[in-house]
Amino acid sequence: MRNFEDDPTLNDLLSNEQLARLNQCLSALCSEPVVLARTRPGPDAVPVEFNLETVGWLSGGGNDDERETAAGLVAFLMMFVAKYRLAANLHHDATEAGYAELQRQNEALKASEARYRELSDQLQQKVDEQVTVIKQTQQELYESARLRSVGQLAAGVAHEINNPIGFISSNLRVARDYVKELGATLPETPTKKDLLADFNDLLTESIDGASRIAGIVSDLKTFSSIDQADFTRCNITSLITSAMHLVQTEYNHELQIVERLAELPDISGHPSRLAQTFFNLLANAAQAVQDAQSDKGPGRILVKTQVESASIQIIIQDNGCGIPEHNQPKIFDAFFTSRPVGSGTGLGLTVARDTVRGHGGQLQLDSREGMGTRVRLTLPIN
Amino acid sequence: MPDFSPDDNKLALKVVFYGPALSGKTTNLMQLHTLLNPERKGELMVLETRDDRTLFFDMLPIGLRGSSGLDLRLKLYTVPGQVQHDSTRKAVLSRADGVVFVADSQPSQQDNNAIAFGNLEENLEKVGLDIDTLPMVVQFNKRDIPGVVPEPELQERWGETPWSPLVMASALNGDGVIDTFQVLLNRLYSVVDDEFRLATDHGISREQFVERLSRNSNTEAAGA
Repeated sequence: MRNFEDDPTLNDLLSNEQLARLNQCLSALCSEPVVLARTRPGPDAVPVEFNLETVGWLSGGGNDDERETAAGLVAFLMMFVAKYRLAANLHHDATEAGYAELQRQNEALKASEARYRELSDQLQQKVDEQVTVIKQTQQELYESARLRSVGQLAAGVAHEINNPIGFISSNLRVARDYVKELGATLPETPTKKDLLADFNDLLTESIDGASRIAGIVSDLKTFSSIDQADFTRCNITSLITSAMHLVQTEYNHELQIVERLAELPDISGHPSRLAQTFFNLLANAAQAVQDAQSDKGPGRILVKTQVESASIQIIIQDNGCGIPEHNQPKIFDAFFTSRPVGSGTGLGLTVARDTVRGHGGQLQLDSREGMGTRVRLTLPIN
Repeated sequence: MPDFSPDDNKLALKVVFYGPALSGKTTNLMQLHTLLNPERKGELMVLETRDDRTLFFDMLPIGLRGSSGLDLRLKLYTVPGQVQHDSTRKAVLSRADGVVFVADSQPSQQDNNAIAFGNLEENLEKVGLDIDTLPMVVQFNKRDIPGVVPEPELQERWGETPWSPLVMASALNGDGVIDTFQVLLNRLYSVVDDEFRLATDHGISREQFVERLSRNSNTEAAGA
């Protein structure tokens, strides 16, 4: 049956075995054998109706009455058979439709669940990205605010100190000349000679002190005015060479500096700041070598330059004391120093890094405590 | 959809009694079986369950023959009203040619009427039928119970719909059952005549269609 409601045929209602058995039973009840068939076998057959539909024809039997009665009995039986069939078919149809509907809903639910999971993942990813951005921005904001305040302070201090240190230095030199002139006029007694020599030493030490103050002030000025540069063409090799000379002077030419300098093209830059940077790095290296001298003997500084693609690389490497790991994150912080108070400003590496950045380059520092330090500067050729 | 087999010259129509649970759909059908004396009437098939609730459906086939030999059958079905049998309801409703919506007149059942009517609209759409063009009649049953919603109120409430006026019935007493059926037959005839030209091709006029399918056994007996 196509639909549960289609009119059933005799074959739908009874199997061949059931039909044979029914015929057998009916025949036993009647005086002559009775046959129930789907098609009309002859003129004496009577129709068997179900639901206004002729489902079969009954023939045989002793007489019309027997046939009619048997047909009525069959119709009565058919109703119950059909009832069951209808119910079973409808139930089957309804269950299938219900199951298909459930499956459809299940699919839709799965699809929607997948969609929401994807959405949730995307949201989580976006949140994570935003959190990273916020953290980074906060960090940058904090650092830039700190550096700005430190820079303003340094600029103020440098400005205030610069004038007095200027006339102190100049006055001290004049005073030393006066002492020399006065000394010539003094009587030659040992006491006075000692006194005069001591006076001279005092003045010389004061002049040294004043010039160190002037150096610090100059560092501070470089640090705080890194952006106000007058760029010219610079010869990096000559800047490095002069910085090495300055450092050697400070260490009485006792430093062992290995030079491996390549031919370099001139680049656009601020010569005094670059020189300052090289000096700072070399001074650090010299200090490190000296600090390690008691353990490792005289150390060695390697200065190497080379051209790599569109940039100049400068490597300043020492086999000195190195930087302890716990200090490494702080080495670029302004005013961080591992030296005793008074011997360093704590601005050397800060100034160096800012200068290199101001030239569009990079400064990379690798260090291991007890092994040494290597600083790699990369400056673009432009 | 009417099921016409040209080979047998047979036209089968399907009418479904729809409505909320316990509104009297089966009672309507049983009364029709008792009261009607149409040209041809089959056995009433009731698939009742233990507690007399319809689980699958009830069915009553009636029919008439046209002058052309047209074998016109009308199968009257009821659906199970209980909410959980929705897939059965849908299966019975599919390919229906007309619907009798049997509502419950008791004030407490008005919500259930609305829910069942919404369910009818929904299921008609699912089986591809249009509630606006499908021949349909709305019956408010159980008028014999005291305290039912008054008829003017119901008529007014439904006044703006295509199913106005409503038919009031008390199926248990047999009142209004045939009236409801006749209203439906009238609406059904218009649609079927359009498609199968019952009057021109088969000699079945509207009056004949209604009268011969809803003939009352009592009046028949009285006339005889």
